[in-house]
Amino acid sequence: MDYVFQFGVVWRELDALLLGAWLTVRLSALAMALGLVVGVAGALATVSRWRAARAVARIYVEAIRNTPFLVQVLFVYLGLPSIGLRLRPDQAALLAMVINLGAYATEIVRAGVKAVPAGQLEAGTALGLSQWQLFRHVVWLPALRAIFPALGSQFILIMLASSVVSVISAEELTAVADTIVARNFRSFEVYLVVTGLYLAMCLAFQAAFAAIHRALFARWGGA
Amino acid sequence: MRARRWPVALVALSLLLALAAPPLASSAAAQTVDDIIKRGKVIVGVNTTTPIFGLIGADGQPEGYDPDVARLVGKYLGVQVEFVPVTGANRLPYLLTNRVDMVIALFGITPERALQIWFSIPYATEAAVLVAPAKQAVKSIDDLTGLRVGVPRGAMQDLILTPQAAAKKINLMRFDDEATALQALISGQIDVVGTGLLVNRTLNRNDPGKNYEVKIVLRPLHFGIGIRRGQTDLLQWLNTFVYTIKNNGELEAVSRKWRQLPLEAMPVF
Repeated sequence: MDYVFQFGVVWRELDALLLGAWLTVRLSALAMALGLVVGVAGALATVSRWRAARAVARIYVEAIRNTPFLVQVLFVYLGLPSIGLRLRPDQAALLAMVINLGAYATEIVRAGVKAVPAGQLEAGTALGLSQWQLFRHVVWLPALRAIFPALGSQFILIMLASSVVSVISAEELTAVADTIVARNFRSFEVYLVVTGLYLAMCLAFQAAFAAIHRALFARWGGA
Repeated sequence: MRARRWPVALVALSLLLALAAPPLASSAAAQTVDDIIKRGKVIVGVNTTTPIFGLIGADGQPEGYDPDVARLVGKYLGVQVEFVPVTGANRLPYLLTNRVDMVIALFGITPERALQIWFSIPYATEAAVLVAPAKQAVKSIDDLTGLRVGVPRGAMQDLILTPQAAAKKINLMRFDDEATALQALISGQIDVVGTGLLVNRTLNRNDPGKNYEVKIVLRPLHFGIGIRRGQTDLLQWLNTFVYTIKNNGELEAVSRKWRQLPLEAMPVF
């Protein structure tokens, strides 16, 4: 049989698709912000002088990085109610994304912190900086600058991974697309447009990251 | 380096959009019974997440009403059966993209679906129903206001409830497959689930004490075997096959085995 392409049915559903894309953007942006906080806390724990904090951070990172994201999503949504934590699909999706991204961000931030030369810390101490000033000016900003590209890639990855939260009925872009396909069976047309939307969202996020990079590190000069 | 990535990405985006423009023709030729016999196997899409009609058995093979019908197809064609797991949402694309020869997967016969594919005469009686624990007071669709109703995406329950969900303030939640929707009911993540006639039995066995019951029958249904349009030869064979197993006791045995019910009389077309 011959397949006749009909993109008209996709444009008719464009509102629904854009609404789904908007949830994807919101989930991803929130997950990036919160995941970075978790990552910084996790990284500080891994270099902490308390053995217990180091162990907890280690277990968290290994447990999350060595299990599938889909399983984590299903566990948060369908498993946690057994111990009394019942989250809406979008909340469960966000929690799973933050937990997942947090583990990867921990490793990335840790690498950045470790890369700060000991001499630089000693110089800061010698200048009489407080612990907080030392962290902010001597550790955090140089580390962030070093890990910025790696962190950006990880952020994009979590946005793309958010497509699997459709299994728990969160109505993000992929879920909306699946629903439309189930109704009009135009899988090629719908998924092609959805692919374009994901690509556009990636480009937008990358542009935002580039702007943040410029704002933070302009005075440092160079790339 | 950041600046240089932009043109590449834009080219990729425009390539995608360009792909969207020209109509292409797919290559699948009409398939006959002879083609299947020559290949030595029939590739059948079955659902493996729905109790009674299709689950993965202890031996890792699909089991249930639909897989047993598929095995009978193989028996009468004299070929092996290769199972491909499909869901309510992807069974039609699987069929249209030639990944399966036929779909035997709780495919309710409707005029809308018949615009895309052809159905054999019915081989099973079912209904799209809503199931909830006994204590949930639901008697009609109007009682669903404010409740979380989970449905398998693209299934009949989804198609029936979607047009009224917004107006009646039903919180309609679509899951990728029936198993996840049922699990969400057991976990208390939804109040009502859209499923089949006999699924409450399975629910009560796995989650005793809540007395799951059928609250609303949305629509009685008959299942047909789905094939691509235009395959006259295969359709003629399948109809003869369904007629045969309906009348020689083989389908009766399948029904008693999985549904614990005798085979009902079914209309034909």
